[in-house]
Amino acid sequence: MQHSILIFFAILTLVIVGVFVYVYLSSVNANEESKGMKNALHKRGWFLLILVVVLAMFASITIPKSPYFAFANDTPAKVIHVAAGQFYFMMSYNAIDPKNPSSDPSIEVPVNQVVEFRVTSLDVNHNFGIYNDKNVLIAQTQAMPGYVNRLRYKFTTPGDYNIFCLEYCGSGHQVMRSSFTVK
Amino acid sequence: MENIRLRKITAIWIVAVLVLFVAAITLGIIMRLNQAAIMKLSPAGFYENMTVHGLTMIGIWFVAGMAAVNFIMERYVKTSYSANLFAFIFTVIGVILLWVSAFVGKFHAGWTFLYPLPLRPLWDSWSIVLFLVSLSILGVGWLVWTVSLMAALLRKYSISQVFAWQHIGNKNPEIETPPFVLISMISLLGVLTSLIAAVVVLVLLFWEFFSNGTFSNDPLLMKNLTYYFGHTIANEMLYLGLAVIYELFAEISGRPKWKTTWYVAIAWNLTLFFVLAAFLHHMYMDFAQPQSLQLIGQFASYLASLPSAAVTVFSIIVAVYRTKIKWSMANLLFIIGTCGWIIGGVGALIDATISNNFVLHNTLWVPAHFHTYNAMGNVLFSLGFFYWFSVQYSKSEVTNKLQSLKIALLILGGIGFLAAFYIAGADSIPRRYSNYPAELAAGKSYALLGAVSAIIYLIAILMFFVNISRRCLSMLFAR
Repeated sequence: MQHSILIFFAILTLVIVGVFVYVYLSSVNANEESKGMKNALHKRGWFLLILVVVLAMFASITIPKSPYFAFANDTPAKVIHVAAGQFYFMMSYNAIDPKNPSSDPSIEVPVNQVVEFRVTSLDVNHNFGIYNDKNVLIAQTQAMPGYVNRLRYKFTTPGDYNIFCLEYCGSGHQVMRSSFTVK
Repeated sequence: MENIRLRKITAIWIVAVLVLFVAAITLGIIMRLNQAAIMKLSPAGFYENMTVHGLTMIGIWFVAGMAAVNFIMERYVKTSYSANLFAFIFTVIGVILLWVSAFVGKFHAGWTFLYPLPLRPLWDSWSIVLFLVSLSILGVGWLVWTVSLMAALLRKYSISQVFAWQHIGNKNPEIETPPFVLISMISLLGVLTSLIAAVVVLVLLFWEFFSNGTFSNDPLLMKNLTYYFGHTIANEMLYLGLAVIYELFAEISGRPKWKTTWYVAIAWNLTLFFVLAAFLHHMYMDFAQPQSLQLIGQFASYLASLPSAAVTVFSIIVAVYRTKIKWSMANLLFIIGTCGWIIGGVGALIDATISNNFVLHNTLWVPAHFHTYNAMGNVLFSLGFFYWFSVQYSKSEVTNKLQSLKIALLILGGIGFLAAFYIAGADSIPRRYSNYPAELAAGKSYALLGAVSAIIYLIAILMFFVNISRRCLSMLFAR
């Protein structure tokens, strides 16, 4: 998905640069008789209308794909509790007691079934970023003290998945990681 | 007209901003070289560097916009020299204390200093206090300056006039509000609200720090407040730059002055509201935040782009298209900056789409887009003003040597260092990592490309720096 986004962005960038270069050159090559843009207000109106339609289309396509609505009506096959701290992740099949936190030695989640991660933090803000075995970020949620963020996801490929912290949390941020297996 | 004292303090602002800009770019290059494993900083050293880089950049380009707006505003209303000087003194003190808190006190909570990280015992407690005091000093200086400029406008224009409401539904109102006045007021009001949010955050942090455990803050509320401040001030400083463009682009180009029309008035009034709600897109990955606010974040981010694209950018295109104008370094920087601003805006809109944010949030896509509209947008707006100002008011001879080289290096370096961020972001490389783990080792190559390109960008900036500072200093010491 990220690479499609990059290509989309690169195309739009080229179009924008092309328009600016064209407009600039039209000025450099203009003479005293050049009259500038005709019916500018009319064109401005059309430009605005097109922009509104395009953005409305983007919103209507993308908003239903927001992670808050993903599998909202499903019952998760497995719930994984996650407590983040400087600079570790604790993961457990059972609720984690913040006063006496403990984790399970390894975590396995089922393939092709909805899984719910209940993510919180025991100290500062962290992030629970899930990377697949090709090191692509596929899902994430923040880990905030005092709050539980529920992330639902259906893994379609078995394998080992890494967790990296994606919210700056102090000098050990870059080594804060964990993993789980999808079977 | 602009008086000598105002010219001199504006010249001092310009030199100070450029000196700090060169220093902060150097910190940025050091970070990228460390990520590329060419240099070797301790992780804490890297994050101290990152904290100072972020806050210094936000601070200097904010004050650059303010100094430019203050200078131009004197054409319309009498501004307070004391408030300008007060802001300068407080900015210098604040920046020095900030650098000391990070490089001596080892404070490194990042420029967003997201609660409760600053209050954790990871650094000496005096450095937390010094950091919060430095931000308070900056905040006080900037609040006084902002309120003073708003008061200066309101002494001449009524509320409805300053927001150009008389232009809505009336083609030829009796009193015209210049676009510069309208945009300055809209931007200053946004700045004021963001600074008030910063004050609330600072008071709450101080309160908890000195409460000995009897008071603690709500992390979600603190995060909302922090991003309300951070996002809004970063946006409003761009709008301060646009106010200057509305005033100077036509003037420098030898064209008739731009006037406020009904659609300019509507667009900028709407911008005020959309921009103030757009900060919510920073909270998308906090699923505990009410969903209605998440959706408002996406809609407000989309809507904020409409007036700026259909009015400001379109107006610049209309002003240039097939029109013979006098091209100089200043208006070239304005138009390249506008292009960079729009491209950064597209990168921002992509990230402000919740379903994209799910896989882009806190990857290098984030610094990619905000560096685009800062380094290739806002910086160029201010550089355009600096260049125009230094040429206009110094007696030094203007030479156009190396003009094309400067622009070429700026664009080449800018594209390289931004592309390294965007491609790395699309490759899932996290932001704010001092070093990359083996699985994300591709980040090192992108960091090297970023560092080399940023050095090219820095060379261009140094050329501008020498040229502009020399003229500003000669102005400063002229009688």
